[in-house]
Amino acid sequence: MSEHSASPTSLSKRTTFSDTKPRPDIPSAVEQDTSDKAGDKGANSKWLSWKTVREWWSDITPFERDTLIASTCLKLLLFPSYRSTDFEVHRNWLAITHSLPISRWYYDTTSEWTLDYPPFFAYFEKIMSIPAYFIDPKIVDLNNLNYDSWSVIAYQRTTVIITELVLTIVLQRFIRGAVDPTTQRLVSASLFLHPGFIIVDHIHFQYNGFMFGILLWSILMARNGNKLASGLLFAVLLNFKHIYMYLAPAYFVYLLRAFCLSPSGELLPTRFVALANTVILVFLISFGPFLLMGQLPQLLSRLFPFTRGLNHAYWAPNFWALVTAADRVLLQTVKQFGIQSFHVNASGVVSTSRGLVGDTVFAVIPNVKPIHTFIITIAFQTVYLIKLWRTPTYKSFVTALTLCGYTSYMFGWHVHEKAILLVLVPLSLVAVENNAYFRTFTLASVAGVFSLFPLLFTPAETFIKIIYSLLWAFFVLNPLSKRVYEFPKSLPFVILDMIERWYLYGFALLQAFVLLFPIVVSRLIDKSEEGFALEFLPLMLTSVYCAVGLVWAFVRLSVLYLQS
Amino acid sequence: MADIARQSSAASSSSQSRRSSRITIPFPGQEHNTRYTEPGQRPGLSHTLRNSSSYEFRSNGSDTDQSDIVSPIPRRHLDLQRSESQHWLGSPPLSPISVNSRAISPLSFASTSPTRTRRKHTQSITSLLESDRERWKPPLPTIQQGVPSRGEKNDLHNSPARGWVRWMHRQGLKDWVIIIAIVLSVLVKWCIGLGSYSGQATPPMFGDYEAQRHWLELTVHLPIHQWYTYDLQYWGLDYPPLTAYISWICGIVGTWINPEWLALFKSRGYESEASKVFMRATVLAWDTLIYVPAVVYFTRTWQGNRSSRTQHVALLTLLLQPSLLIVDFGHFQYNSVMLGFTLLALGCFGAGHDALGAFCFVQSLGFKQMALYYAPAIGSYLLAKCIYLGSKEGAQLFTRLGVVTAASFILLFLPWLPPFAPFSAILDPISRIFPFSRGLFEDKVANFWCASNVVFKWRIWFSREILVKFSAALTAIGFAPSVFGLLYNGFKFSKAASNTEGKASPSPSPILPLLPYALLGSSMSFFLFSFQVHEKTVLVPLLPLTLLLSSSSNDSFTFQLGVLVNNVAMFSMWPLLKRDGLGLQYFVLLLLWNRMVGYSPFHASSAFLRFGALAVYAACIVLHTAEAILPPPARLPDLYPVLNVLVCTPVFAFTWLWSIKRGVEVSWALGGLGPASGSSLQDVTPAAKSKTSKQQTASFSRPRIQSDATPATTSLSSPVLDGNGSASGFSSALSDRQAARALKTRSLGYSSGRPSSLRTMSPAPEAH
Repeated sequence: MSEHSASPTSLSKRTTFSDTKPRPDIPSAVEQDTSDKAGDKGANSKWLSWKTVREWWSDITPFERDTLIASTCLKLLLFPSYRSTDFEVHRNWLAITHSLPISRWYYDTTSEWTLDYPPFFAYFEKIMSIPAYFIDPKIVDLNNLNYDSWSVIAYQRTTVIITELVLTIVLQRFIRGAVDPTTQRLVSASLFLHPGFIIVDHIHFQYNGFMFGILLWSILMARNGNKLASGLLFAVLLNFKHIYMYLAPAYFVYLLRAFCLSPSGELLPTRFVALANTVILVFLISFGPFLLMGQLPQLLSRLFPFTRGLNHAYWAPNFWALVTAADRVLLQTVKQFGIQSFHVNASGVVSTSRGLVGDTVFAVIPNVKPIHTFIITIAFQTVYLIKLWRTPTYKSFVTALTLCGYTSYMFGWHVHEKAILLVLVPLSLVAVENNAYFRTFTLASVAGVFSLFPLLFTPAETFIKIIYSLLWAFFVLNPLSKRVYEFPKSLPFVILDMIERWYLYGFALLQAFVLLFPIVVSRLIDKSEEGFALEFLPLMLTSVYCAVGLVWAFVRLSVLYLQS
Repeated sequence: MADIARQSSAASSSSQSRRSSRITIPFPGQEHNTRYTEPGQRPGLSHTLRNSSSYEFRSNGSDTDQSDIVSPIPRRHLDLQRSESQHWLGSPPLSPISVNSRAISPLSFASTSPTRTRRKHTQSITSLLESDRERWKPPLPTIQQGVPSRGEKNDLHNSPARGWVRWMHRQGLKDWVIIIAIVLSVLVKWCIGLGSYSGQATPPMFGDYEAQRHWLELTVHLPIHQWYTYDLQYWGLDYPPLTAYISWICGIVGTWINPEWLALFKSRGYESEASKVFMRATVLAWDTLIYVPAVVYFTRTWQGNRSSRTQHVALLTLLLQPSLLIVDFGHFQYNSVMLGFTLLALGCFGAGHDALGAFCFVQSLGFKQMALYYAPAIGSYLLAKCIYLGSKEGAQLFTRLGVVTAASFILLFLPWLPPFAPFSAILDPISRIFPFSRGLFEDKVANFWCASNVVFKWRIWFSREILVKFSAALTAIGFAPSVFGLLYNGFKFSKAASNTEGKASPSPSPILPLLPYALLGSSMSFFLFSFQVHEKTVLVPLLPLTLLLSSSSNDSFTFQLGVLVNNVAMFSMWPLLKRDGLGLQYFVLLLLWNRMVGYSPFHASSAFLRFGALAVYAACIVLHTAEAILPPPARLPDLYPVLNVLVCTPVFAFTWLWSIKRGVEVSWALGGLGPASGSSLQDVTPAAKSKTSKQQTASFSRPRIQSDATPATTSLSSPVLDGNGSASGFSSALSDRQAARALKTRSLGYSSGRPSSLRTMSPAPEAH
């Protein structure tokens, strides 16, 4: 957490058994970081002395301080807001890690919300469960399912706010070394106040702020030339939440090319060994205990449940959402015109009438299997990675990272809509590169944030998500666009520009539709079967409309990257 | 202290010729310079400054701003000169200046300008004396002092609100500030509404939320004549008819959405997420419809001569006032409607639309009888204005006001009056609205009765009738000074301007600056001394105080006291809020607002206030901590509320006294012009006045060429300047000769003190 204030001197002092010291500026955080990753908070507290806190506080500018205070106030006010089942999931994990021995963690099935995050997250929950016990022992009672007293709400929500400080500090550090601090300040603030974090973390309940804090920390290290630390932090992150594997290929290629190989392409063995050792060490610390207990298969089966469908209940707005929608449209066409040549899959028809619940089975289009999605993803990623291999610069790295995440999001198996943050967060860092990047960022952000809206469906929170996102868009897009705006170069670009603009305005209409449709339906049609099927229409439209923008932004970004 | 010495010397030299030897040479860099400096600092105000070196530098910078003063000026006239340089000329002061160094209120009725333009009715309530006492520095010939660079950050006046407004302006988003501020406040309000409300899940009676919901239910389903009689035991309607009408409207909407929420009798105690959202939405809707526009209108009329940044900061300050937010959106009430109507009334008075203002105030009264707390001040203000206007026009205005007031009341109570109802029907609402049958005070409220009850058990010694009389008498004594002050000034000005013609009634009277203090004094005396006061009623006196603080600078006494009282008011409601489960919101809102306005009790300029405030805060913190750790002893279950009352009451009582003192001071400042400028008033004003009216008519026909930010005030004595969009309303109070000289001076390119006057010479005033 306070790694920054601890700065190189204290770091190098602590690198006691680091076997390699390739460059003085990469004494890096190797060992001291590995040692602390058993629980980011716990070990950090070693250097989180009062002095560093004070240094950090005095380093903070009024802008940052006020942003922090204001956003914290807002987050505190959101305490009583709607909570998804993820809240109970995390409470249950607190209980599991607190009341069970480590050998039982990945076996417990008291609650349906079993532990399915990697071990570091389990350790993290274990650490958080200690204060929880003192605040209210009922929080960590394994059998006290769906406990929702004020104490547990306040406690869990507070932990989200506090662990998000990692994000705060990292973003602040991003400003410090930036080429253009003013713009970076806006970008940092936009990330810190991202509606995605408010919606997913502070209302819906998750710890994304903390995780993305680590991811950004890792990216920051890459920017600052400390690639070993970057790799280490990413390894740590992977052991917190394995969804970040979406980004792993970019890290792998970048670190291999830019860190382990010299610019002329020769392997630098010491660096390679250092990096490999670091990563292996992190994984050993994480999985070691379970390896010793021979629980690895059980653990992995928890982490990678391949029993789910292509789409999530609400289609994450990716490529498959478009395909699924196309399938539905085709089915209607087939029905309408009675074309016999098509083989219509009967279970697919059933799947359609069930709306969006359950597995997606296509009626007309051939079904997609996990292996297909996997191949497509790899194929796309390879293209970007070759590009990254050729130009292993920081900017290229961040863009490739974004694209890696983007590809996985676009073509992955059972993608969750929350995964869009994996795209939006690194994309923000390159948003102000130039106007083209900025427009991509705008499209992806608006569509991406909008695609998170269905997470919150209660009326009170609906109001908040809309107002907050509008405010965020106003404060971020407006000033940033002024910095990078260029008039479109030629007529096609003017038209493109216009279409994109209209697409963005379309979200207002879509939101109006989503809000009004249920009211109108409930007035016009009493719960007939048709009305029931129509209930999914807003969700489907949201998904498809966002998917159009996100796919387009994906194409844009790919072209931009490959052309650069 | 030096201030006092200066004061007295200034007073003694008040008869010297004003604007005597003050000549300024505007130099090219000046404008730029002032744009990025934060003037108005002086030693001893080193508020949040981090290091003294940068402070020194900056203080020099601010010297530069006033360094044009080459020879000492009588203090009294500083007002005139400064004011002139800042806003008489009608050019908007450069933003940072006015954000920080407050303009001085126009003292003269002559400063009023035509009715059409938006920003002309400008009676800043900003402290008259305070501003010069606080920020006036000995004039030093320091023209050559360093020009602070743009990068210099100044913490002293950099409240986050100001920083944000400045940022918005620099980003070219100035036109968006008001909208965004409103949206931000709406977001905050709605987020507060996520919390619990009064009486949530506490059958059988629940709380204020259920009362309001019940009124929706009752008004929708029952005929009007039953509204005030239906089952009075269960939250019978006890607010005036406008509340009932508004409940009725909300009830119709609610029934349309879901009839279950408001089914007659069956819905008692109905609680669901959806109905809660609906009820919260009604509060937000009325707040946004009435209070928010009222605040915007108020900042435009009363601070119209201030920079838009100042207006925007004031807007934010008012929109996020914590106690109002937490009572309305947390606890659940519709106070912002009542306060909004009063604010609208004030805005109308500021703009000179007295009849409209009276109508608005009647609506305020018609919504909640608590608006009566303001009635003495507003009534006497209007009366004073009638007096001031003289026998003919005054009588006209008086009649008009009387008719409007009576008509609005009749309109409100129409359904209970003949021919719609028997004559006796009117007694139903009246007896419900004024519940003298209840006790002296309910619960624990930080007023005189409850506080003194600790040592003297009033209710044991006296019967209720006597106590009613007692409290009425004390209240009357309490607000008498405010009323007297207004009326006295009405007389005084009436005499001073007795010969004038054309005191057009759509212009605010010169006694307007007294009004907020009178409102504060009157409402505070009601709060402290009247019968049956609730702790939430502290919102009523808080409004004028917050208005005052919103337009004063961070180092002023008004600001410091205003924030202190706001915080203490919040604290005084703590027992209530704790019961409602709004503890979190309580702390968050306090933090948010205090931080936003940039308040720090450690840096109050007055030592008395500093130590007083710190002592009060210490007591609050100790009480909070003690309450969290130790349960009250069994023998004294009410220990903490009582201690709370004992902490809060002195602060409120002090505020009441302070309002009287300020009233006297302001009145002296207004009257102070009397003897010195009386002659000039008498022999100049008629002419000037007639000019005014001509100019006014002229300006009506003239299209407005300036941006919103540039007030198109009339020029009274300098028609030449008028074309440039500058005006000197106050010049009318000066002699013609002086005005001519001023004109000459200006046209020679010498500004009279501030670069802003230089700007007036430019043909196209910069819209910023």
